[in-house]
Amino acid sequence: MSLVEVVDVSKEFKSGEETIRPLDGVHLTIEEGDFVSLMGASGSGKSTLLNLVAGIDEVNSGHIFVGDTDITELNRGKLADWRAANIGYVFQTHNLIPVLTAYENVELPLLLLPMTASERAKRVEIAMAAVDLTNRAGHYPRQMSGGQEQRVGIARAIVANPTVVVADEPTGSLDDDTTEQILSLLQRVNRELGMTLLMVTHDADAAQRATRQLRLERGQLVENGKPILPRALRTA
Amino acid sequence: MAMKLLPWDYGVRNLFRRPSRSALTLGGLSIVVLLVLVVVAFIRGLEASLAATGQPNVVLVYALSSGADIENSAIPGRTPSLLAASVAGVRQQHGVKYVSPELYLGTRITVGENGSEGLGLVRGVTTSAPLVRQQVQILEGNWPAAGEVLVGRLAHSKLGCEKELLQPGQMIEFDGRQWKISGVFAAGGAAFESEVWAPLADLQSALKRQDLSLVAVGMDSSEAAADVDLFCRERIDLELKSVSETAYYADLQKHYRPVRMLGWVVVCLVAGSGVFAGLNTMYGAVVGRIRELATLQAIGYRRRAIMLTLIQEATLLACGGALVACILGLMFVNGAAVRFTMGAFMLRVDSVGIAIACGTAVILGVVGAIPPSAKAMRLPVVEAIKAI
Repeated sequence: MSLVEVVDVSKEFKSGEETIRPLDGVHLTIEEGDFVSLMGASGSGKSTLLNLVAGIDEVNSGHIFVGDTDITELNRGKLADWRAANIGYVFQTHNLIPVLTAYENVELPLLLLPMTASERAKRVEIAMAAVDLTNRAGHYPRQMSGGQEQRVGIARAIVANPTVVVADEPTGSLDDDTTEQILSLLQRVNRELGMTLLMVTHDADAAQRATRQLRLERGQLVENGKPILPRALRTA
Repeated sequence: MAMKLLPWDYGVRNLFRRPSRSALTLGGLSIVVLLVLVVVAFIRGLEASLAATGQPNVVLVYALSSGADIENSAIPGRTPSLLAASVAGVRQQHGVKYVSPELYLGTRITVGENGSEGLGLVRGVTTSAPLVRQQVQILEGNWPAAGEVLVGRLAHSKLGCEKELLQPGQMIEFDGRQWKISGVFAAGGAAFESEVWAPLADLQSALKRQDLSLVAVGMDSSEAAADVDLFCRERIDLELKSVSETAYYADLQKHYRPVRMLGWVVVCLVAGSGVFAGLNTMYGAVVGRIRELATLQAIGYRRRAIMLTLIQEATLLACGGALVACILGLMFVNGAAVRFTMGAFMLRVDSVGIAIACGTAVILGVVGAIPPSAKAMRLPVVEAIKAI
């Protein structure tokens, strides 16, 4: 079984009288260790799909399986617990907590998981080392550059060893040099730590760094120019 | 999985995130809690004064025709000796019966060199008065000799003059005579503390009166009060009635019930206005952190955990306000004298007042934080996460 399986997912929004359906019966499978980039025009629904996989938005129809769990069946509280254990989220605007140091920001997801303080400390140190920010552990977000903040954001996303790391335009607010650093870091996270990544981006160069490139067009996912079909049709 | 809370530090540090706003809120909450404390201190002080004045083993005997007003009472001068001789159960020590004949009146008293005048309460007493009024203690000076008076420690408040003008050695004037202050007394917070005590014989002479206002009788037990009541009923020629001092002041407390009720209404109104101030502040604090709160949800923190943190922040701030208010209250409010018709009493910041102030602060914090945090939590995470 695939690590992530999106089955016939639709999502619609009301905009005044009009109903917008950015996702219309979408199918997607992501295998363990994949680094998937997701592109598409503005408003095509790529961030919506990412948020559905991350469990912070709800489908109108269809199912999303992550591992053995159908997350569309979980209630709000259970979904929050599930996110804590299974999702690492990298935000476009870093979204660090300003009153916490880099170390404390990275530690935040671990406080939700059953582990000892020493185990927590060890994991935070490994994550900080992975993003090469050990020397900035005691700094607050306001004392760091945008690139450093995003590296802390990545450390926070990987520290709990989640099932999937989702990244919504992780380089959207960074300059070229920093973008390169962050993309390299995400590649390392995928290759060296074996983490599964789903990244939304506008940047074609950034998308090329992924092992699989997908596009969302007219509510459907396309890979290598062909629409992604349901598993049943593919095996047939 | 049990609900995991955010670190305690997170809530505490958020208070220092916008120091000026937190300081203003702290100031506002301190004022609200201080106002609550002042009103409670007023009510508690009034209650304590009336409660301390009444002693369970003391019976007051006064004129049947005077209603509940001892000032209007006039009873024969021989009443104390008749009571002492006729009633069993009167407390005595070394052959001295605890029977205190007293003349009580409200009159204009002139104090100081510039002759400022105030309406004071004067009680003519004998040396048996301290036997019956056992809470009385001389703080400074001596028991008054002829032409002298002993003043209560709150008499200056009742007269509306400086405390220094009623120190031993100073002169005061009432009923056409000059009186030298021989000392100052306390009475454990009782209403006597606002009175001026003069020797009974001197006062009768000054007033050209032979009668008394009342006789206070110390009994062996509260049950023995029935003997005094029986005496009053049998001696109809004297036209007396008796009431235990506790019952007398309990009855007086009823007259102040509207004042106390008004006090509690003020406490509620002030606390209510504090809730609105707290709401306003917390709305401001939460609106600026919508994205941060959504981020915490995306990480896996439950809405209830985040709400609890916001309530913790507001409650901490309100408790800080309570602390400031209690310190100010103990420094500047506790013991301040307030005039009222029966004399004066001291505002009382006691454990009950502090508990009510702290309770009010906690309510302000909790009630002020719930609506804004609930509103923030109702926003869908995907929308909130993009908030500016």
